[in-house]
Amino acid sequence: MAKYKRQFFPGSTAPAKNRRRYLDPKVKLKQLRDVPMDDVVRLMGHRTPGSAYKSIHPPLTEGTEPECPIRKLVVPIEGAAAGDRVRYIQFTDSVYFAPISPYQRAWMYVSRYRGIDTGTLSGRQIIECRERNLEQIAKELIDNETFDPALTGIRGATVHGHSCRLDEHGLMFDGWQRYLWDDSKKEVMYVKDQVALPLDKKIYVGKPASMSDLKKRTTIFRADGVDMRDDKEVTDFYIRIHKLRTLGGYRPFDVKGE
Amino acid sequence: MSSPTVDYANVPLPEVRVMTTRLLSAETTEKVLCIIDKIENIRQINMCGENLPRMINSGPAKGNANNHTERRVINVNGHEVELHCLVGSFYIELAVDDKDQLEATVEKIKAAFDETVADGYTIDIGRYSKYRPSLHDYRSA
Repeated sequence: MAKYKRQFFPGSTAPAKNRRRYLDPKVKLKQLRDVPMDDVVRLMGHRTPGSAYKSIHPPLTEGTEPECPIRKLVVPIEGAAAGDRVRYIQFTDSVYFAPISPYQRAWMYVSRYRGIDTGTLSGRQIIECRERNLEQIAKELIDNETFDPALTGIRGATVHGHSCRLDEHGLMFDGWQRYLWDDSKKEVMYVKDQVALPLDKKIYVGKPASMSDLKKRTTIFRADGVDMRDDKEVTDFYIRIHKLRTLGGYRPFDVKGE
Repeated sequence: MSSPTVDYANVPLPEVRVMTTRLLSAETTEKVLCIIDKIENIRQINMCGENLPRMINSGPAKGNANNHTERRVINVNGHEVELHCLVGSFYIELAVDDKDQLEATVEKIKAAFDETVADGYTIDIGRYSKYRPSLHDYRSA
């Protein structure tokens, strides 16, 4: 039997290729900025930088866990071994060619990270994880190419804005104005954490990418960018899924030769 | 419901709808309004956009002041206007008598937007808001 080779996404257009890149855990994503870890912790607002991690159960090394074959089988992530709390970070992605969109975030998260729980909504994507692992993941996600300062928002609550028009500086709308445009530095700065509690210091997350660059990097198919119908393989893939799901729902005996 | 008190009630006056490509800052909104305000034959201007709450209304920061830089009072030719939203559309009702007057007014409105809105807009002429009571207005609670 031929060795199974994992597949990620069909298609030959730029969004399809980007989807494959983001989903493949073997691809190392480009790091575009370096936001200090303490600032990432401040942005999330779960703990004061430098303070100890709070725990919800004793470390697993104490051996108080019940006898269980699954527990023996699964190697715990660092945070679980230490008994950390489960905390979250949530990103909002604009429909205006954000580098990634929530659904692909879910695929990417489960493809790349262990010990996480993720949830998709129309405009936002939450990731829950043990605190110390979450901080590493959050830093990675803010630093790498899936984040754009203008079109990706770090928003724990009231995420409205992903489908709104951009403002005059090209930033995604945020009713709580967690981030502002710094005209002197030409950078985006956060003045509130993800749930809009004011930050003690401004946190700079870098310069937004140009629209032409974003159109090359995005995973979003759009009529004014790359239309999904222009990629035959992707269209066929979705038509097939649609057909199988519909038939599977009410005429399963008609599904033949698939 | 009381009978109309003004002679233009129940009359579908033409309306100009301007949708901007980007949501406008308070500063740009002020500039636009200052120019449109002086154009003749305009009966009323309504603006719509994305709401900017005064307070943080949910989550751990609930009850804090929002302090949004664009939620502020703007000065339109001496009149103070309190902005509650990031403006993205204007509905300008015109009190014009004929087609020539309509076209002349629309040209002036276009010139005002060309001068102040850098990122572009779309403009349509028609009737986009309600001008007479309908069944819904007579419905009891």
